[in-house]
Amino acid sequence: MAQIPFSNEIKTLRFLTGEMTQGDLGDKVGVTRQTIAAIEQGKYSPSLEVAFRIAHVFGKPLEDVFRWQNDIT
Amino acid sequence: MSFREKIHWVALFGLIVAFGWYFMAYPWHIANTQQGVWAAVGMLIPVTIIFLIPMIAGTVYFAIRTPKEANLKEDEREKTIHLRGTHLAYYPLVLGVWANIFFLINGIGFGYSVNILMATLVVSEVIRVGSQLYFYRKGA
Repeated sequence: MAQIPFSNEIKTLRFLTGEMTQGDLGDKVGVTRQTIAAIEQGKYSPSLEVAFRIAHVFGKPLEDVFRWQNDIT
Repeated sequence: MSFREKIHWVALFGLIVAFGWYFMAYPWHIANTQQGVWAAVGMLIPVTIIFLIPMIAGTVYFAIRTPKEANLKEDEREKTIHLRGTHLAYYPLVLGVWANIFFLINGIGFGYSVNILMATLVVSEVIRVGSQLYFYRKGA
């Protein structure tokens, strides 16, 4: 599988938000804990809706949560 | 491991055991006779039971252990995994049906035909469930 072209700060943001668990974030976003884990590890590229929902949970703009990697065109 | 992934493992186990038994125990020496056709039909009853017992037991067991996960709706990643697996299983299904048509035109008996169709279904299901498990393990 091709590497997805963006990184994310979900793990850090979870830690900064009262050490929120992957399961808690999943419940808030409406996906399973395993899906949050896959997104965090860069194994799964979420839909735009889920990406926005994750950013919304942390109260951050999308680009603070997901970052396009400059070395990938 | 998510609830649905666990159920997929149980389904794969059930498929292999049930249809493994079927193809091992089938009376191949009478396959091309009317009794062979009826043997295939009759053996579908124990096959269904062998497949359903671990499925029901597994679903109940995992639902009791993780009730929250069992009640969760399928999310977008799981839907993608299921679609990709079903897509992959379509190819052996089509190939098997075409092979069966070819053999029927060329005079194969109904007993063999039923078994070719059964094997087609089993291979497709194993590929569907197996590939979905692969995608679950891989992340998506």
